[in-house]
Amino acid sequence: MATATSSQTRNTVYVAIFAAMIAAMGLVPPIVIGIVPVPITLQTLGVMLAGALLGPVRGMLSSLIVVVLALAGLPLLAGGRGGLAVLLGPTGGYLLGWIFGSLVIGALFKFWVLRQKGQTGRIITGLVSVIIGGIGVIYLFGIPWTAAVTGLDLGTSAIGAIAFLPGDLIKAVVTTLVAVTVHRSYRALMS
Amino acid sequence: MIAAHNTSYLAKLPAGLKFGALLVVSIGLYLIGSWQILSVLLLVSVLVLLSARVNFRQLRMPLVTLLLILAIVFVSLGIQTTWDSALVSVLRLLTMCMFAYAVSLTTTFDAMLELFQQVASPLRHVGANPAQISLGLSLAIRFIPELKRAYLEVREAQHARGLANNPLAVAVPLVIRSLRIAEDTAEALEARGYDSAEHSK
Repeated sequence: MATATSSQTRNTVYVAIFAAMIAAMGLVPPIVIGIVPVPITLQTLGVMLAGALLGPVRGMLSSLIVVVLALAGLPLLAGGRGGLAVLLGPTGGYLLGWIFGSLVIGALFKFWVLRQKGQTGRIITGLVSVIIGGIGVIYLFGIPWTAAVTGLDLGTSAIGAIAFLPGDLIKAVVTTLVAVTVHRSYRALMS
Repeated sequence: MIAAHNTSYLAKLPAGLKFGALLVVSIGLYLIGSWQILSVLLLVSVLVLLSARVNFRQLRMPLVTLLLILAIVFVSLGIQTTWDSALVSVLRLLTMCMFAYAVSLTTTFDAMLELFQQVASPLRHVGANPAQISLGLSLAIRFIPELKRAYLEVREAQHARGLANNPLAVAVPLVIRSLRIAEDTAEALEARGYDSAEHSK
């Protein structure tokens, strides 16, 4: 049924739907989760999910599409932000980090997490992967970017990022559980 | 942030030119270390925005967010280094963003997207398919309202079950539903014989 061409179109549709998910998560009012009083936006949840569910290349392309559409002017980022100023501003690095974050999460899921046989093994390796890619890599771009653009030193810039850490950790747990659950029923998602 | 019915002189310039100018100005701003010159440039950027008759209501929310971040940056920089360099850094960022707003608010979304596609066109040589890129971008835009609706529906359904604040109970059905929408769309494209490979090879 699936020829080479149709699978390419299928991949594009998957990339597009996850890009739309990342965008939609920035448009809806955020969920307030019990433990954390601060309402967290779900956009990075979408970025993490794209990598964990679609794998490195398609996951990265989903994030890339959102970044491109936002820079081109669509108000897709949390708080209705968009346009070129987002990239030039102090938080532009986090946006670039999304692209590489979903790439790293996708690669780790494809070559490490999904090779685990047991459910527990997948959850543990999955969580490690999402934390590396979805928090580590994104902060790796975001923190030096803020420091470079504002002139703050790296330490202060990192302290600013810590405010988002609890929310991001919750999103990492959610991503892992969702991804492991979905991969169980959609085995062919990444092959 | 899209140019909404902007017909000023800036809107008539080609997007590539504005984009290039913004790039040059941004780099230039980093070379300037005096708050006096930067204040003048900030004034210039505001004048550019004014002369382009942009819709300032579109700017309100982004500006509030930006000023909030800049206020935090200003205070922490001022304490760490000198208030002088804090002022320079904040003025520089604000000016840069003002010029960026000026470009974004006078360029239509289509023109900006076309520019990005032009910039990305060398990727053709490494195997990227322009038809698939356009399909991906337009499908993504098309899917946003659909997914927003799906998300709100799932949340409402889980609210009725008392699970509204359980992120897992919202995310799993949302992802499953998205995958189903994607499959339906891919099948519909196939059924209509959508074939992008032929045009590029």
